[in-house]
Amino acid sequence: MDRRNFLQKMGPIGALVLTVPAIAGNTEPVRVSGHPPPYLREGDYIGITCPAGAIDQRDARYSEVMMERWGFKTRFGRTIGRRWQQFGGTDEERAADFQQMLDDPNLKAILFGRGGYGSMRIMDKLNWDAFKKNPKWLIGYSDITAFHCHVSRCFGIPTIHSRMAGGFGSQEDLSETSLKNTLYGKPIQYQWETTTFNRPGKTQGILVGGNLSLIYAMQASVSELDTDGKILFIEDVSEYKYTVDRMLMNLKRSGKLDNLKALLVGGFTSIKKEDIAYFTMSIEEIIYEKVMEFDYPVCFNFPGGHQQPNLALKLGMAYDLEVKVGMAQLTEVRNAFPNPPLPLIDSIVMPQSPSLNL
Amino acid sequence: MNIKTPRYLKKGDTIGLICPAGFMPAEYTTVCIETLQKWGFNVKVGKTVGQQSHYFSGEDAERLQDLQDMLDDHSVSAILCARGGYGCSRIVDNINWNAFRKNPKWLIGFSDVTVFNNHLYQKLKTASIHGPMAGAFDKAGGEDAYILTLKQALSGRKMRYKTEPHDMNKFGKTSGPLVGGNLSILAHLIGSHSFPDTKNTLLFLEDVGEYLYNIDRMLLQLDRAGKLQHLSGLIIGGFSDCKDTAVGFGKNINEIIQYRVHKYNFPVAFGFPVSHEKENVALKTGLVHRLQVTKSGAVLTEGE
Repeated sequence: MDRRNFLQKMGPIGALVLTVPAIAGNTEPVRVSGHPPPYLREGDYIGITCPAGAIDQRDARYSEVMMERWGFKTRFGRTIGRRWQQFGGTDEERAADFQQMLDDPNLKAILFGRGGYGSMRIMDKLNWDAFKKNPKWLIGYSDITAFHCHVSRCFGIPTIHSRMAGGFGSQEDLSETSLKNTLYGKPIQYQWETTTFNRPGKTQGILVGGNLSLIYAMQASVSELDTDGKILFIEDVSEYKYTVDRMLMNLKRSGKLDNLKALLVGGFTSIKKEDIAYFTMSIEEIIYEKVMEFDYPVCFNFPGGHQQPNLALKLGMAYDLEVKVGMAQLTEVRNAFPNPPLPLIDSIVMPQSPSLNL
Repeated sequence: MNIKTPRYLKKGDTIGLICPAGFMPAEYTTVCIETLQKWGFNVKVGKTVGQQSHYFSGEDAERLQDLQDMLDDHSVSAILCARGGYGCSRIVDNINWNAFRKNPKWLIGFSDVTVFNNHLYQKLKTASIHGPMAGAFDKAGGEDAYILTLKQALSGRKMRYKTEPHDMNKFGKTSGPLVGGNLSILAHLIGSHSFPDTKNTLLFLEDVGEYLYNIDRMLLQLDRAGKLQHLSGLIIGGFSDCKDTAVGFGKNINEIIQYRVHKYNFPVAFGFPVSHEKENVALKTGLVHRLQVTKSGAVLTEGE
């Protein structure tokens, strides 16, 4: 057999191997799929659970009322109103509540109660088999970025970066309207004013990311975000400037900023001040410095993060991003993914946590 | 791994003093310089000492050059970083190690300097000293028992440290190269080529001013990255000035650490004198040490 024939024979096998992450260690990121879970219709059920910080029943009521106004039905998990330390229950309780919702075929989406801290404490207790077969929308941000990263890395299934149940009010605002539209399947198109710090350009790519601290906390784990050829979105809150700089240096030194299609920057709010020798660079300067050597578009001021509004973003899906000096536009690429969904999801082996893999 | 040990110092040798990260006013280094001189060393003060560029002790290029000059200068036998803060990782990938490879020398510091301690171990297979910096000399008004360990370490004495018994210690006898340092910096190095291979090592950790939840998150990050499971031992130093959120985390720092590693069998020693406080001894990172944890406390001894 000559080499050419041999390679042709090997072709399909090689392709298959690439889509199956190895166990632990440096797993191959999923570069396929991107097919969204089914959008919601009136009468569909949304589960609400707290995988991280705790919220009171009362705090969750606003989201319940609003979801009903939108035509959805809600189911509160047992973690709503529970508390263990600062968490919405013990690790086991939070994992079980989330697991039950992942496995429940009647739920079309899972809205998280709040962020805070705790998602990564339960990550390796979760079984994603049912979710992979029947993907549903996972909705949240901040600490929930742990799940965004994991689902993106391991399954390539889109998720929603958005305000959470604990943040809902009595009057529907822009953030909530954007979530409603997204859940009903309205394609995303946002246009916003930006700083003049932008590096203009036009690009198309799959959007990934979320909270910088959590993207950072996933580094070198099975949930590590794959950013190659992607539009990376980052936001953060209540960090020192030097910490932001240090986290970005980590992404840079591990090559996460090398091959982006674009960098999209949301809110960096409530930045803390150093006691001494104040870090005088602005957040924009700190961020821009890390990507100065590359030539992809860089865009600031996306209205998302720990701020008003926090517009819903479908992560894991393709967008056109056009960045000008004082303005930018993000437009979902329609029909980017053919129907029916690529039949690859089932073939993906769930990577084990390295800590459990003896 | 074969680790190179730089030449130990003798009287008359020169120690270079630099600020590779955060800004430090020159007057805070006076006591340190005088003490090093009293010990019989000459001190060469780098340009970055007392220099300020906003938060940093100079632009990246200036801090890099100062360190590079000291690395390349044959008359300098050791380099003491005056202060941490933040900034070492901004320059570490631009250092030219050629001269250092031929003529390794002791690099001393902790906190942000943990970047260098680990980079030297992992990439240059060279031992360095995790130990007190200029601020410690200043606070002590010269030297105390902890600061004196730096003199002993530099002079080539084999180090031996003993701690009081601790309720949460996990007993056992083990050995391995000493690696570690500041937890925030270890988390920061993860995913980069400077992160140490922690398998079969004695990992030591300390930190300052962090939120309890963030310490939990960083430990979980190390664990999920597989960096804790194959340790030969764990040494816990001080975690001073821990902060907590309005709704408390509900566990103290030692409980957080214990919870994270209780599933493993390696010995764990709490209360080790490595910290941002006075209790901060010189540790020769990269060199093999023995750790023995018993009901009478823990003993860390340099050597196979």
